[in-house]
Amino acid sequence: MNVFHQLQDAIAGTLNVPVESVSESTKDEDLPAWDSLGHVNLMMTLEQTFDVSLDVDDFTRLTSVPAILAYLKEHGVE
Amino acid sequence: MSNGSFDELFSAAARDELRDALAERDGPITLPQLRRLAEHAESLRPELQPLRLGIVRSYTSELLDPWLSLEGALNGLQLHTYHAPYGCIIQEAEEGSGLLGHGPDVTLLMLERSDLHPALSEPIGSYSFEQQRVLHSEVIERLFDIVRRFRRHDIGYIVLTLLPSMHRPGLGMYDAQSDRSASAWWAGLKAEIARAMREDVPASFFLDLDLLLEQVGRTNFFDWRLWYSARYPFSAEAARGLARHVASVGVALKLPKAKVIAVDADNTLWGGIIGEDGINGIALGPDYPGNAYVDFQRRLLEYRQRGFILVLCSKNNPRDVQEVLREHPHQLIREHHFAAMRVNWLPKPDNLVSLANELNLGLESFIVVDDSDYECAGLRHSLPQVEVVRTPGKPILVARCLEQVARLETLAVTAEDVAKTELYAQERERLERKQEIEQSGGDLRAYLTSLDMRMRVGFDDERHARRLAQLTQKTNQFNLTTRRYDEQRIRDFIDAPDWLVAHFSLQDIFGDSGVVGLALLRRVRADAVDVDTFLMSCRVIGREAEGAFLHCLLRRLFEQGVWEITAEYLPTEKNVLAADFLVQQGFDREDGGRHRIDLRESSPRPESEFPIAVEVAPSDRGD
Repeated sequence: MNVFHQLQDAIAGTLNVPVESVSESTKDEDLPAWDSLGHVNLMMTLEQTFDVSLDVDDFTRLTSVPAILAYLKEHGVE
Repeated sequence: MSNGSFDELFSAAARDELRDALAERDGPITLPQLRRLAEHAESLRPELQPLRLGIVRSYTSELLDPWLSLEGALNGLQLHTYHAPYGCIIQEAEEGSGLLGHGPDVTLLMLERSDLHPALSEPIGSYSFEQQRVLHSEVIERLFDIVRRFRRHDIGYIVLTLLPSMHRPGLGMYDAQSDRSASAWWAGLKAEIARAMREDVPASFFLDLDLLLEQVGRTNFFDWRLWYSARYPFSAEAARGLARHVASVGVALKLPKAKVIAVDADNTLWGGIIGEDGINGIALGPDYPGNAYVDFQRRLLEYRQRGFILVLCSKNNPRDVQEVLREHPHQLIREHHFAAMRVNWLPKPDNLVSLANELNLGLESFIVVDDSDYECAGLRHSLPQVEVVRTPGKPILVARCLEQVARLETLAVTAEDVAKTELYAQERERLERKQEIEQSGGDLRAYLTSLDMRMRVGFDDERHARRLAQLTQKTNQFNLTTRRYDEQRIRDFIDAPDWLVAHFSLQDIFGDSGVVGLALLRRVRADAVDVDTFLMSCRVIGREAEGAFLHCLLRRLFEQGVWEITAEYLPTEKNVLAADFLVQQGFDREDGGRHRIDLRESSPRPESEFPIAVEVAPSDRGD
């Protein structure tokens, strides 16, 4: 499974939304469940799913699928 | 941790089996995994019992929900949780509050130490002994004022928590030895809290989170990133521990009481099999692995001391087991510690039924501990009402295997305690009937006044442009129109002659909340203004700040000759809180969410009607 599909599952599973609602361009404003609490939950899930270590500063940046994919690429997740 | 072993958890066919399997598994659980586990636990027989939980909190608590669901489900409970509005504490003890409406079985108070008294913003070590003594009394008085307000209502069992200190005491490692020791002060305070809860507040319990902190370790307890970004303090480990404690309280209230611990002998009380290894071959003594089993026996005796009944149920020759019980030098549990014994070759379920009859107790009060997968499965099949714990295969895990069992947490709650809360409620109702209804409103008002709140209102202040833009983007609950603006738009509004950007900050005896409210007003005519945006951070909900701010603006506008104010309420999923605000402040509701007020007929309220002193910063632009 490629990184995007893993991420799609992680977002859908965390925010309790259908997988189809998460596209390669989805950003937080597109999903009502991706509010401030949903975002925090998602950050924790990303850490565990992809075995990365997020800083607080990363929290504020990673508010869209493209941003998260770029981060994962930068941190060697292929 | 490979996905393979996680998926194995789903083969568990009973909740206690799932719980045992989870306990033996290392590593963190992701949120989606947590949800799947909770769903699986919920799907198992028997059906879940509902537990209504109300959480009143001064920090973020919603992120506990997945843990509460899991720990609830593992223990046979379906949680229905209400989270009070953020930061609203005593407001929830008032008539008509969401907490009262929820009708909880358990009310969890999640307070921070700094909430208890303004003086706690300074280090305890900076106060003299006498000052510390006075502070202790004042903190107790304030805290129990809060607790008693809640106890007046029928809100179930009250569980009080104080978030542990995030940092080591101010005096560092010398704190314990200091005559102004902060840890000694807190220890004294907690002892007094526990005593007062026990003696003065029926059906209540002080859950000391410092014990959880000890278990987990301070560095593992807090997640600093979550604290600083979302004001949620707990690591996954801490959250799980807390959820487990809350579930235990629910279990004590809703599920049949555990009374009997029925233990197997081989590989439970000692390592090895007595019938094969002989009395000198079993592992029981000061060396590994025998010492692990000795520890387990010690724990079992502690449970007995707490009031649980110990019975022995083992497939063995009676004489072999007897030899160990009577002669083995390291055997701590002797024959007389067991209320009854069945040592024979009969099927275990039959023995347990016989034991239940002998003790005259129901099987639903039994916890059975056995090392054999086969026996455990058989029991779960023939006696589903019995809770079964499989003794871990690894000796180092054995001594703690009963810590997962929520029903072994004793709670000093009896039917009388719960009945007392009804008495309290009735007593209060009787008093209330004698007094004015305003009395309870006056009570809250007195509390709000005691906060000595001061509001600073500013206009067109571009120094706050970024913060104000942020408020429009993040505020969802108390927000009439939920319009999102970026910093540049806010600056444009500030510069535009027909727009007024008003903001406020709030201070009280506990500190300054910063800029927390915004109104964007557009002048439509010389005498008419439309409210494009009116919002307030949930940080200051429940203190009448929104009303004080609005009427400050209305007074000002009226002085300038404006009498017609229009505004809208655009409902969203999240802003139900603000639905009636405009009407409550004197506006008339029209069609499609529009509201209107004529200040010539409906005067703006004076400052004195609110428990907040309002100061208006002078405007650069003279409007």
